[in-house]
Amino acid sequence: MLACIVIPGFTLRAALRARPALAHRPAALAPVEGEEPLIGPVTAAAEAAGVRPGMRLGEALATCPSLALVEPDPAGAEQAWEEIVRRLEDVGIAVEPVGHGCAYFDTRGVERLYGGVEGALRRALAAVGSSWDPRAGAAERRFAALAAANVARPGQALVVEDGRASGFLAPLPLELLPLDERRREELAELGLRKVGDLAALPAAAVGERLGADGRKAWNLARGEQGRRVRARKPAAELAEVLEFPEAVGNELTLRRAVNVLLDRLLARPERADRLVRKLALSARLVGGGSWRRTLTLREPNAERDRLRIALGPKLAELPGPVVALRLEAVELARSTGRQLELVRPEGDELAGRLGEGLRQVRASTGGGAVCTVVEVAPWSRLPEQRALLVAKDE
Amino acid sequence: MSYVNAQPTIERAARRVGRFNEPRSALVESRVDGSPARVNRQGVAFVREEWRVVDRWWTDEPVDRRYFEVVLETGENAVVFRDEERGCWFSQRGA
Repeated sequence: MLACIVIPGFTLRAALRARPALAHRPAALAPVEGEEPLIGPVTAAAEAAGVRPGMRLGEALATCPSLALVEPDPAGAEQAWEEIVRRLEDVGIAVEPVGHGCAYFDTRGVERLYGGVEGALRRALAAVGSSWDPRAGAAERRFAALAAANVARPGQALVVEDGRASGFLAPLPLELLPLDERRREELAELGLRKVGDLAALPAAAVGERLGADGRKAWNLARGEQGRRVRARKPAAELAEVLEFPEAVGNELTLRRAVNVLLDRLLARPERADRLVRKLALSARLVGGGSWRRTLTLREPNAERDRLRIALGPKLAELPGPVVALRLEAVELARSTGRQLELVRPEGDELAGRLGEGLRQVRASTGGGAVCTVVEVAPWSRLPEQRALLVAKDE
Repeated sequence: MSYVNAQPTIERAARRVGRFNEPRSALVESRVDGSPARVNRQGVAFVREEWRVVDRWWTDEPVDRRYFEVVLETGENAVVFRDEERGCWFSQRGA
């Protein structure tokens, strides 16, 4: 069976760790600076007062004047989520994280270890920790597992037996489906409010009216997609932190701090002389929030000066003075060095550059982003039967 | 109650093996003779070619398509077909 662990409002919970007193008061995650003024997840007290996630800031404050706004803490959320995923991996569960607060795993690998599906789910919930109020769901398909986890109560697991997925999904709200707001409103105007309402429509009508996204949502609503979990390969943590005695906003000092962090990171024995492909620079801000930027390198390398030049522009994006700076090697290349050749064979350089470009795309967008076309029936009269698109991960 | 909805990565995973040049739903307004007048809200300048594909009539999923290669008013070339079995329009590359 496929299982899903969900922590609703994860980003808010992560930000509230620094201000736990707000957890029982009306509070919401403040909008991100420079983006549309929409609030993020809200606490139960705020929800009881009529505030909804995604509401406009002005409307939310008018609805609940005592609403406290919590600064987003992206670096803290990233770190907390990584810790949770590692705890799950420590108990033997191969996890596929799909964003902060949501992860899938296949129970088959651990069922015998923990005495069945329920035992595996209980162990996974315990590994996440009760302070996060995690919920677990299990079903034959990913979407049904996700829906079950959303329906379960905090700290509980809900298992949807095989063959009952469509009956289970039918009464659930359409919000669970990955549709944009405009499409959802369109469906509401047509009188569709439940997953079952959409699933009952004919496929051709859905495809014609709602396009490819609607067709995907229709497939999910019928519980017909997603049988596989692609567990991540746990990476060794390679990060360095520099805490400042007082807040630093001076760019020169920050550049020097980055140099120190780079020196320390490159000297770590765990790196084993491998080149760096992706870096993450994060900072704890003086006001209590945090900041994080990732950098995928065009060519993996371990030269301090090149990495310093690449990280320079990111420092200019810091929104304010910082009290701590953290540099993390998110992904390392397999190669340990590059030997230049006197005469390169024809085509070899081009193939090398292409391979490097594809690895860069994969590092920045994740698995499944690069595909290759495989001809299977070039004689077919139907164009879509002639070739397949197959993910090219290596 | 707030819900965590299916993430784009799910869709990405589902895309791992797919068909190349798969038909996509198209919004087509047709003339009396069945040829397209507007494709995805763009006017059709003229129809370059028209052909028909009838296949797999011996199976449960027969194919009956009326293809049109058109030039839009914007100068863009497009290939659309009407699926006579399902009664809806699609656009397709590689036809």
